[in-house]
Amino acid sequence: MKKLLLITILLTGSLFAQVKGNIEVPYIPYKVKMGKGFTTVQANCLTCHSFGYVLNMGKQPKSFWKGKIHKMVADFKAPITKKDQAIIANYLTEYYGNGKLK
Amino acid sequence: MKRRDFLKTSIAASAAILGTTELSADVHQARNYNNEISEVNFPEKARMIVHSDRPPLLESPMSTFTRGITENDKFFVRWHLPDIPQHYDPDKYTIEINGLVEKELKITLKELKTGFEQVEVAAVQQCGGNSRSSFSPITGGIQWGNGAMGCAKFKGVRLRDILNRAGLKKGASWVGFNGRETAAYYKTPDFVRELNMDELDDHVILAYEMNGEDLPYLNGYPIRLVIPGYYSDSWVKMLSHITVTNKYKHLFFMDKGYRIADNKCECETPDHLYKTTKPITIMNVKSIIGFPENGMKMYHNSEIVVRGVAWDDGAGISKVMVSTDNGKTWDEALLKQENGRYAYTEFRYAFKPAKYGKLTFMAKAINNLGAEQPLSKDIGWNRGGYKYNGIHEVTVEII
Repeated sequence: MKKLLLITILLTGSLFAQVKGNIEVPYIPYKVKMGKGFTTVQANCLTCHSFGYVLNMGKQPKSFWKGKIHKMVADFKAPITKKDQAIIANYLTEYYGNGKLK
Repeated sequence: MKRRDFLKTSIAASAAILGTTELSADVHQARNYNNEISEVNFPEKARMIVHSDRPPLLESPMSTFTRGITENDKFFVRWHLPDIPQHYDPDKYTIEINGLVEKELKITLKELKTGFEQVEVAAVQQCGGNSRSSFSPITGGIQWGNGAMGCAKFKGVRLRDILNRAGLKKGASWVGFNGRETAAYYKTPDFVRELNMDELDDHVILAYEMNGEDLPYLNGYPIRLVIPGYYSDSWVKMLSHITVTNKYKHLFFMDKGYRIADNKCECETPDHLYKTTKPITIMNVKSIIGFPENGMKMYHNSEIVVRGVAWDDGAGISKVMVSTDNGKTWDEALLKQENGRYAYTEFRYAFKPAKYGKLTFMAKAINNLGAEQPLSKDIGWNRGGYKYNGIHEVTVEII
């Protein structure tokens, strides 16, 4: 009985974290298509999310990419200038477009 | 102006764009998403399908779904904002309960584990956008395969007990939950969720343990909210604040994210979006085949045991039917239900192939209320790509 009690105390009393020290989330070097406008994409888009978010969508029409950029600005408050929005839309359409406008 | 107040006004200002569409109806290309199991390992995780490293978006491989409990290291991960704190001292971690309460509380992890009744609930945790990539044309949101889900035994303390300890004031009707992930920009909305008091029952818990271990860091260590039966959008991770209010606050992740057309079919078309939306809330009936997997070659003389999991919002699964003739006839699978009504029901179905060539297995779950999964072709489209529950089909080659 005494032994059982001790085990119970040990189970509830000590609080050891499963992980020692800081968590490091790995960095993934995505295979990104380099081209006109990429530095603008890097400066604006990749501040908040990885390039995985782009690749995850597959190839899409220009209207789709423009909608995504609009969502980032309107809903998530990303401070992307009108000029940069156009550059990003052109980059995504050029390298991750499906050849369609809509 | 406080950050929250600013958010309220900025979100009201952006509400005008609701109802616009970024889609066109003729986008019907074959999708080629990365569903490869990644070589990169994330903290405390086994090999997963990785959609993003920041914020981390990790999907469970299909082989996970042959068993009723999902191992912690294979449990899916979904964060909304890029900055996740890297370390907590479990001895110092506290959650605050404030708002319309008699007594504001700061509860340490230790107090949570020792000062309240400890309870356990096994529950399916499924992202509202699980299986989203099955929708066509493409919808908004991360294009998940079928692995944005898992089922675990969660241990913790009833939210009700904590609210009772704080004491609710008159008019208390909403509870807001905030976690510790933060955005890159000050103006980006916080990931705050709100639930009405009526939605809370005794199964809603603040969990600190999953399958007998600490929550993995990426699953919300040290404390997360668990709401059995509900899609996991409101299962706030790294819970920091519980705020009781008398009024629903208009917040981005409540008013725009995780909502679906407010009509009977919960459907719309890209060209005719339905005017009003509602939160996705409770899960519909669904099943997934974990084995075999699409494209596998199976030996003709071997008995194949199809295995998978089925679940709903807690009404409970009554049957899983399997078809091997493209839905002409259905045969009942064997069920195993040992973790309660909010958990996965395991199913298995033995089949010896009689012919060589392609063979398709289909699985259809039916719950205790008689609700059953629709064929994928009968699923209505919605702009956010939520609540997909079409009958899962797996095609193998018999050699």
